[in-house]
Amino acid sequence: MKRIILSLFIFLLIGLGSVNKLVGQCNSDNFSNACIPKLAGGFNFLKSYKIDGEGGKEKVEYSYVFTKGTQYMINLCADGQATDGIVVSLFDSGRNKVATSKINGQFISAIAYPCNATGIYYIQYTFDGSTAKCGGSALGFKR
Amino acid sequence: MVMRVLVIGCMTAFMLSFIGCGSSNKEAENEDTEDSVEAQGPSIDDQTISAILESIPSPLEISVLLKESGTKYSSSILNSADNLSKYNNNYKKALNLGIYGTDLGYTNIYQQNQDGIKYLTSIKSLADGLNIGQFFDVETIGRLATNSKNLDSLLLITTQNFNSINKYLQTQSRANLSVLLLTGGWLEAMEITCQVAASNPKNKELLEKIGEQKIILENIVLLLGFYKDTDENMASLLKDMEGLKAAFDKINIVYTYKESTMEVVNGVAVIKDNSTTTIQITTEDVENIRKATQLIRTKIIS
Repeated sequence: MKRIILSLFIFLLIGLGSVNKLVGQCNSDNFSNACIPKLAGGFNFLKSYKIDGEGGKEKVEYSYVFTKGTQYMINLCADGQATDGIVVSLFDSGRNKVATSKINGQFISAIAYPCNATGIYYIQYTFDGSTAKCGGSALGFKR
Repeated sequence: MVMRVLVIGCMTAFMLSFIGCGSSNKEAENEDTEDSVEAQGPSIDDQTISAILESIPSPLEISVLLKESGTKYSSSILNSADNLSKYNNNYKKALNLGIYGTDLGYTNIYQQNQDGIKYLTSIKSLADGLNIGQFFDVETIGRLATNSKNLDSLLLITTQNFNSINKYLQTQSRANLSVLLLTGGWLEAMEITCQVAASNPKNKELLEKIGEQKIILENIVLLLGFYKDTDENMASLLKDMEGLKAAFDKINIVYTYKESTMEVVNGVAVIKDNSTTTIQITTEDVENIRKATQLIRTKIIS
C-alpha cells in the first residue's frame, strides 16, 4: 500500500512539474501581437517579433533591410507596463550600434529610427535584469 | 480496499489524461501535414532560410513611397487579376501569389477598392490552391476595402495574413514556396518602380530606390541558390535572377558610418542617424534593370 501511495506521489510530482513548465512557458506570440496596436499613429505594421530568452539565451536577434528616407519604429511589450529589462538595440551591417532602448539607465519601450543609410540591420533583444525573459515586439514604418 | 481502488482510479485517470493529450497532438500534426505539398529539400537548414526571408522588406514600402511622391495610380502596370487561370502549378501559383500580393498592397495604398477586391479574389484562389487559403479572411478584407476610413486596418490585416502564410510555410517545411512568394512580390515591386521611373527619369529618389534593391536581390539569389540542386524551376529562376543581378553589378552603394545620437521624446527613444549611403546609379543602369526585370516577370505572369 505504502509503495502505491509513494508511486502515486512521485507520479503526481512529475505531472505537476510538467504542468508548471507549461504554465511558466513564454507565450511571446501574445506579447508580439499585443505590441502591434501600440505602434505610434501613422506607422504601418511590418513585422512582429517573438522574444523568448528561455534556456539561458543571452540574446534574440532578427534582421531586416532598412531603407533611406523611411522612418521605422520598434516597440517592446512584456509583462506589465514596463519592458521587464528587455532592451532592443539596432546594429548596422558592420555591427556598429546605431540605436538602443536603454538610455542613461532608463528602459524605453519604443525606438524611432529615421533611416539615413540603406542596408541590412540587426535587431537585437537582450535581457538586462529581466525576470521572465519573455516578450514581444513590433516593427512599423512611415515615410 | 476502498483506498486501493481510489488510488488505482486516480492513477488511471491521470495516465489517461496524458494519453489523451498525446493523441490530440498527433491529430493536430496530421491535420497540418495533410495539406502539405511535397517540399523540396534545400541545401541548408530551415533557420538560416527563415532568417534571410524575414529580412526582406515589404513591397508595401515602395507603394507608399510612390503614393507620397505624387505618382498617379496606374492599373495597367499591374498583373491583371484575370490571368489567374494561367497559373496551374505550385511554382507559378506561389510566384503569382507574391505578385498579386504586391498589386493588392498597391491598390490598397491608392484606395482603389474595386481593383483591390479583384486581386483579393485571385489571391484567395491561388492561396486555396496552395492549401494556405485559411489565412485569408476575404469577407473581412472585402468589408474593410469598401471604406477608405479603414485603410490602416486593411493594410494591417493583409500584412498579417502574408506574414502568417510565410511563417506557416516555414514551419511546414515548405519554405521553398515562401521563397517564391517573396521573390514574386519583390519582382512586382521592381516592375512597378521601374515603370514609374521610366516615365519620371529625373526623379532621383526613384533611381536610388531601384539601386538599393541590389541588397535585396543578393539575398533572393542566395535563397534561390539553396534549392538549385533539388528544384528545376527554382534553378531556372535563379539563372534568370542572376541575369538581373548582372544588371545591378555597376551600381555602387557607398556606406559611411557615423555614430548616431539619441534623445527621449514622449517616452520614445528618437534616433538621429548620422550615417549615410550614396547610391551611384545612372539612367542607363535603370533601363538595363527595367528590361531584365520585365523579361523575368513576363515569363512568370504568362
